[in-house]
Amino acid sequence: MLIGALGVALFMRLPAFMASYDGGAKTILLSGDPSLIAQAQPLLAKDFTIAGRLNLRGGATASDLRAHRKAAAIVALAKDAAGLQVTVYSKDPSTLELPTMRHDLLPLNVSVTTNLDARKVASLLTVRMTVKPVSSKFGTAAQADQARIMGYILLVLLYVLIVLNSQLILTSVAEEKTSRIAELLVASVNPSSLLAGKVIASATLALLQMVLWVGVGFLFGGERSSGGELQRLNDVAQLSWQTISVGAIASFAMFFLLGYFEMATLFAAIGSLVNHTEDLGSLGAPLFIPVVAAFFIAVSALEVPDAVIVIAASFIPLLSPFVMFARVIVSDVPVWQVALCIFLNLATIWAIAIVGGKIYRVGMLLYGRTPRLWQIWQVLRV
Amino acid sequence: MLSVSHVRKAFGSVQAVCDVSFSLGRGSAFGLLGPNGAGKTTVMRMILRILESDGGGITWDGVPVSRRTARTFGYLPEERGLYGKMKARDQIIFFARLHGIAGREAQRRTDRWIERLDLREAAQRACAELSKGNQQKVQVACAAVHEPGLLILDEPFSGLDPVNAEMLSAILQELQAKGTAMLLSSHQMWQLEHLCRSFCIISNGSNRAAGTLAELRAAWPTRIIKIEPGSEAVRLVMHTVPQGRFLPPEEGAAYYEIPAQTPLPELLKRLVNADAITRFESVEPSLHEIYLDAIGKGNTD
Repeated sequence: MLIGALGVALFMRLPAFMASYDGGAKTILLSGDPSLIAQAQPLLAKDFTIAGRLNLRGGATASDLRAHRKAAAIVALAKDAAGLQVTVYSKDPSTLELPTMRHDLLPLNVSVTTNLDARKVASLLTVRMTVKPVSSKFGTAAQADQARIMGYILLVLLYVLIVLNSQLILTSVAEEKTSRIAELLVASVNPSSLLAGKVIASATLALLQMVLWVGVGFLFGGERSSGGELQRLNDVAQLSWQTISVGAIASFAMFFLLGYFEMATLFAAIGSLVNHTEDLGSLGAPLFIPVVAAFFIAVSALEVPDAVIVIAASFIPLLSPFVMFARVIVSDVPVWQVALCIFLNLATIWAIAIVGGKIYRVGMLLYGRTPRLWQIWQVLRV
Repeated sequence: MLSVSHVRKAFGSVQAVCDVSFSLGRGSAFGLLGPNGAGKTTVMRMILRILESDGGGITWDGVPVSRRTARTFGYLPEERGLYGKMKARDQIIFFARLHGIAGREAQRRTDRWIERLDLREAAQRACAELSKGNQQKVQVACAAVHEPGLLILDEPFSGLDPVNAEMLSAILQELQAKGTAMLLSSHQMWQLEHLCRSFCIISNGSNRAAGTLAELRAAWPTRIIKIEPGSEAVRLVMHTVPQGRFLPPEEGAAYYEIPAQTPLPELLKRLVNADAITRFESVEPSLHEIYLDAIGKGNTD
């Protein structure tokens, strides 16, 4: 839990940290025709930091760049009969946002060839566009974007909480078997109570974890700084933390409980069949499939909540808590669908509890060869 | 009182227990003897309802043992069953609470057991770090801390040095005096001889012999007589005993094996008349001998 908290703190701090490196790629020096520089400067200032002007004779060399340490490139502007001629001298061209530079300087190019005023050209070249999402729960695209990012973060959080803690139960049960304390426990306590107790205690621990991590996230997500993809993610996340609605928290908690009880009980039942620690790998392998599938489909759900596979998956047990949660965050899901999902999951939990409980009761005492599937089936029929 | 009658259990094609019956009252100890694989542990597990018997009945105070009742029994399994990383003291408290003893009382009892078992230094260490003997002691405490009516101990003396074995034996006798019924299995015959009143010798899943030590001895078909001096006159007398057998003499004493029904007073009178007898001793068969004999007979069946 503490390591997780540390991880979250670092994650929140990372963008600010990266920005100090990132900033370099946005700083440029201008050189060449002074009148061109004067016109280009306001255009480029939107996306780049102009560190200064340079007077160059001939081509720039590495020593010129090194002299102005923060600059990533020297942009030399010249014009001829065909139009604007821009030469970019850079240490690492791949870090420069060249398409952006091209886009910024486009009005200048047009103005130089047609002799129109640069500012007028700039306004001509800008297409006014308003995005109005239709039949979406969000008023603006920005809100939808924000929700999607928040959904992604919450989904990852949900996933980590459920899968990590289910894994813990798996190893705990397997450890009890290998240390042979299983026999003594079964002789002292009703195995179903034992199983229920483990799952509930672990769920409480997981919720505590969640509260701790969210708290740390709030604490460390302090300042905003400029630039970077990661930073944009962080900024939106900040906003999201502050605007998380009660509904989102409620649905998070609910889907967590549903998904967790399903997965934990199943994992515990499988864990009880383990004889040696080596079995853990081979018995646990099939469990990988729903776990990974759930994640991938849920992530897609954030982008396309109405795709057929997404809708179908939001009702399949084990997958549905994740997928339905993603859908609920980014789109308006009909109430009957959510209700059906909850009902199916509760039914699954009930079924797993009974079957899993039986497997657990028998499995805890089954030593010797790891039972094959048909043997397990036989045991269940009794 | 525990009553086991005609229980049997098969695992697939292997008949682990064919037909075992015995009974045991409160405040008494019963010894289950038998070689490895005889079915002792299986019988114990059936009493604890960890395994379901295929037939026969097990009752406690006249009522068939339900799972709930079985969980009140104390159990010391053959193999160590402890949480490796848990401290010894915490482990005992855990089991006390598992059986329904509340917090403060659980701690009190645990500390008493720790004192009694001389585990004070070991109490605060993780179970995996303890020596086998100490682990066994912790295990005993876990089994008995909730003061069960029936205590089932599978090989309780294994791993204990003579001093600790003596300590455990004393503790078990105390528990017996307090009214706990005890079922023990062991290979250390001499320990059980002092502790248990009745025995049951199991081999290949069925009863080979059962009863108190006195009964088992009485059923023994022969008696060994040690006579000093081992003189010629003595030998002549012993010759006349029907079905008597000479055994190698040792240190001047003569050993004979004679049928159990031979009336001893008459034999003694004749010997006294024949020579100046300084020792006439009827050596009782030890539990060890009875056991070996019962098992041996069983294997030739």
